[in-house]
Amino acid sequence: MNSIRRFSAALMIAAGLLSAVAARAEILPAPQGDVILTVSGAITNTNDDGLARFDMAVLDGLPRHSFATSTIWTEGVDTYEGVLLTDLLKALGATGTNVLAKALNDYEITFPVADATVEGPLLAYRANGKPMSIREKGPIWMIFPYDDVEAFRTEQTYSRSIWQLDRIVVTE
Amino acid sequence: MPSVLRSRPRYLRNVLFGFMAMAVGVLAVLSAEVRHEMRLFQEEPVDNVHWNLTQLELDLVLLLSAAELALERDEPPLDELRKRFDLFYSRTDLVRQGAMFERLDLEMIIRPLIARLDGFLQRATPLIDGSDASLRAALPALVEDVQTLRMDLRSLSIRTVEQYATQADLRRAELARLLRQVAATSAALLILLVALLGSVLYLNRQAERKTAEVLRVSSRLQATVATALDGVIVAGLDGRVLDFNQAAERIFGFSRDEAIGQGLDRLIIPARHVAAHEAGMARMRDTGKKKVVDAGRIQITAKRKSGEEFPVEMSITSNSGPDGMIFIAFLRDISEPVANERALLAARDKALAAEQAKTNFLAVMSHEMRTPLNGVIAAIEIVGRKAVDPSQAKFVRLAQSSAKLLLRHVNDVLDISKVEAGHLALSDSPFELAPMLASLTDVLRPVAAQKATEIELDIGPDLPPVRGDSFRLGQIVQNLLSNAVKFTDGGKVVLKAVLHPQGGGMALLDLSVTDSGIGIAPEDLERVFEDFVMLDPSYGRTDAGTGLGLAISRRLAEAMGGQIGAESEIGKGSRFWLRLPMRTADPAAPAPAESARTTAKPGADGPFLDLLVVEDNATNRTVMEEMLRLLGHRSTLAVDGREGVTKARVHRYDAILMDISMPVMDGMTATGLIRAEGLSKDSRIIAVTAHTMPEELERFRGAGMDDCLTKPMTIRDLARTLAAISAPPSPPPPAASPQPADAVLDALRIEDLRQALGADGIRRTVAQFLRDTTATMDRLRSTASSPAEARALCHELAGAAAMVGAAHLHRHFAGLEAQLRNGDAKALAAAQADTDRLWADAAAALGALTKA
Repeated sequence: MNSIRRFSAALMIAAGLLSAVAARAEILPAPQGDVILTVSGAITNTNDDGLARFDMAVLDGLPRHSFATSTIWTEGVDTYEGVLLTDLLKALGATGTNVLAKALNDYEITFPVADATVEGPLLAYRANGKPMSIREKGPIWMIFPYDDVEAFRTEQTYSRSIWQLDRIVVTE
Repeated sequence: MPSVLRSRPRYLRNVLFGFMAMAVGVLAVLSAEVRHEMRLFQEEPVDNVHWNLTQLELDLVLLLSAAELALERDEPPLDELRKRFDLFYSRTDLVRQGAMFERLDLEMIIRPLIARLDGFLQRATPLIDGSDASLRAALPALVEDVQTLRMDLRSLSIRTVEQYATQADLRRAELARLLRQVAATSAALLILLVALLGSVLYLNRQAERKTAEVLRVSSRLQATVATALDGVIVAGLDGRVLDFNQAAERIFGFSRDEAIGQGLDRLIIPARHVAAHEAGMARMRDTGKKKVVDAGRIQITAKRKSGEEFPVEMSITSNSGPDGMIFIAFLRDISEPVANERALLAARDKALAAEQAKTNFLAVMSHEMRTPLNGVIAAIEIVGRKAVDPSQAKFVRLAQSSAKLLLRHVNDVLDISKVEAGHLALSDSPFELAPMLASLTDVLRPVAAQKATEIELDIGPDLPPVRGDSFRLGQIVQNLLSNAVKFTDGGKVVLKAVLHPQGGGMALLDLSVTDSGIGIAPEDLERVFEDFVMLDPSYGRTDAGTGLGLAISRRLAEAMGGQIGAESEIGKGSRFWLRLPMRTADPAAPAPAESARTTAKPGADGPFLDLLVVEDNATNRTVMEEMLRLLGHRSTLAVDGREGVTKARVHRYDAILMDISMPVMDGMTATGLIRAEGLSKDSRIIAVTAHTMPEELERFRGAGMDDCLTKPMTIRDLARTLAAISAPPSPPPPAASPQPADAVLDALRIEDLRQALGADGIRRTVAQFLRDTTATMDRLRSTASSPAEARALCHELAGAAAMVGAAHLHRHFAGLEAQLRNGDAKALAAAQADTDRLWADAAAALGALTKA
């Protein structure tokens, strides 16, 4: 069992390295429109002096992911679309172990890179196919599939569900 | 165990279970409620109310400061203001959309706040979304509006928090209550569980103890049953074997595994008994009646595996077990004991039969031997009469004494076999002890006198008459007396008799014979009563010792219910005693048969005889009378010789049956007197005696008797003897006189002598005889005072007379000898005239012979 886990971990690391290499190979495009997200820290793929700055177009260039869920803050079920944090970190060749996420109103949370999985969180930038305004918790809402995965219906996950996200720092 | 005791833990447990069920039910309800409450906290979490309200306030403050900054500076950009508005706007959504508060049941509380916020946003949003110019123009109003909102928001949010806190308190209290209830219920449940556990542990321990006990008992029982020597078979009501122990395996040959589950009927019951067995089982099933069960030990036939049938001893008990009634059979193979018993019985029967056959053989042989032996003795007597040679005479005497000894042996053996075979008939008739004992001592006195021994009779003067078998008693006493005399030289023999009355018409005769003889060694004292024991072999060889006398006496005494024993001291003498229970005769009764009686002729075949029976023993008298009556004869009875003589003188009897030993006057004397005179002097006189010795026979003849009957006689003997009288109408008997009817000299003997010696020889012999006899006769006359010497002289004279063929003289002297032996001391003197005359006759005849 352990050996399988170790093997898959090795595979994942290998895949990460490969994608990092692939990402580095094609230069992260520089943002043309308003920058809505800035990633800094232990990342290897940048587009502006050690920073990775994203406008909507650059974000759209990353692998897209979506799911439908309700939240404790909204009414009804909405479909959210965006990039998985893990995909983003891979694309940036992140080498750190922790992620510090910050919002426009300076709300911030920290969590381990390992918590970023293919299930979530999702850096959603569209709700029901439309970009989200600041009034609608946009432009980026780090969101989890609360309805699908019970493990995400916890206080900690709710506290990590940071909206009006605009900065990410990958730390060692 | 009584059911009440057994049910108590069960009842307790039931109650416990009831309480537990209730507790579990309560817990289930409570936990459902708790789960519901917990879901509010856990599964439907909401964002923190305080946090959001604070954030709302913070965002409003930040918006206010951005607005105030924009108003102060009065210049662009207004981006910061717009961003702050957007952030505030987005925050108000949380409140306005109400999802959070709805879930927390805070809708009503938050409603005023929402209304206030909605109002503000409706006013402010068009301004913020408008152009910079219009926004700037509206800034002062906006600032004022925001300030007002802040104050309102403050108080509203405080109120909301208060209300929320109250509600939260209520909810917590509710939860706490629930939890307390759960805890209480759990505690109760726990206590119940502990109680139940205790009860279970207690029951378990009891069960363990009981199980151990049951195991111990059952293993002990198992071991007992397994090692029992008896076969144990347990069967159910259906007759199938439930258990089969080792002994049963051994007995029946089936292994336990083979036997278990099988029906008894096919296993061990013989085919012919199966139907009865099944009927019995059916009866027991239907009626519950038991016949064999609990009936103790019974013997039945069982069957082995091999099919062999054999006897078993069996007992069955029943017991009602948990699976219904069971039967336990205990079986013992008794084929061996039964076979042994059978063999033993067969052996015993065989031995008894053999013993009986031997006894019968002895009895028959003894009886049959007597007849030829009598012939032998008679022949020897005749030969002895003619013996001329002293050496021949010696051998003849030897032959005579041997023959006599042999006859005694035969008689003794006959007696023993009679007793042993149970053929001894004991008579029961009244008799007087004193005269009987006196006659016994009288008979032996001459013999004792020869050995210078005195016989003393010591009996009380007033012995009452008794009933019993006087003949057998006499036989014992005679034996004891003759033994005493035999072993005593120059001493004294005392016969003592005492009768101890015992009451109830019984008396104990205590009789003893004491001598001053050689005595008996202590180690031999018991042996003397055994068969063929002779303590002094040398004596036995010389005299008539059979070694059976005391053995017979012992048997007779025991047959009469008495005891016999001896005490002795070597060199000082012996004392033999006899203790005999006797019935006392009624002293008032008339003396036995004093007068003659006449019985009518019953009309039987054969000639009618008129008979006189002279007999002192009442029983014998009665028996004879009865026998004669049966034979069709008439009988007259006389109790002694004197009475017989009196009766014979006045009546002519066809025959006289004369007892020899009688008180007052003996048979021989009476015979002589009857022959001397009277109407019956020619009648046939038949001696009736227990003494069957041939020598005696000769004596009887010499005394004038014609025939002899031996007691105890049979009716056949009597008939035969009497038939000889009547069948051939006999010629008138010879003249009744002491003189013989035949010749003075025995012609045959004379002829024998003549042939053997020649004329000269006869002459010499006769001369010698005459000389010797004359001298002997003189001695006889001069020694009349000593009966023993006289008897010896008579014996010598009789022998000498027989030798020369002086038959008459021989008979005379032989008769005298017998009389002397019987103690008739006066016989010699009484017969003096006859002696002289006969001597003269014989001398004359012999003298004539020698001259011829």
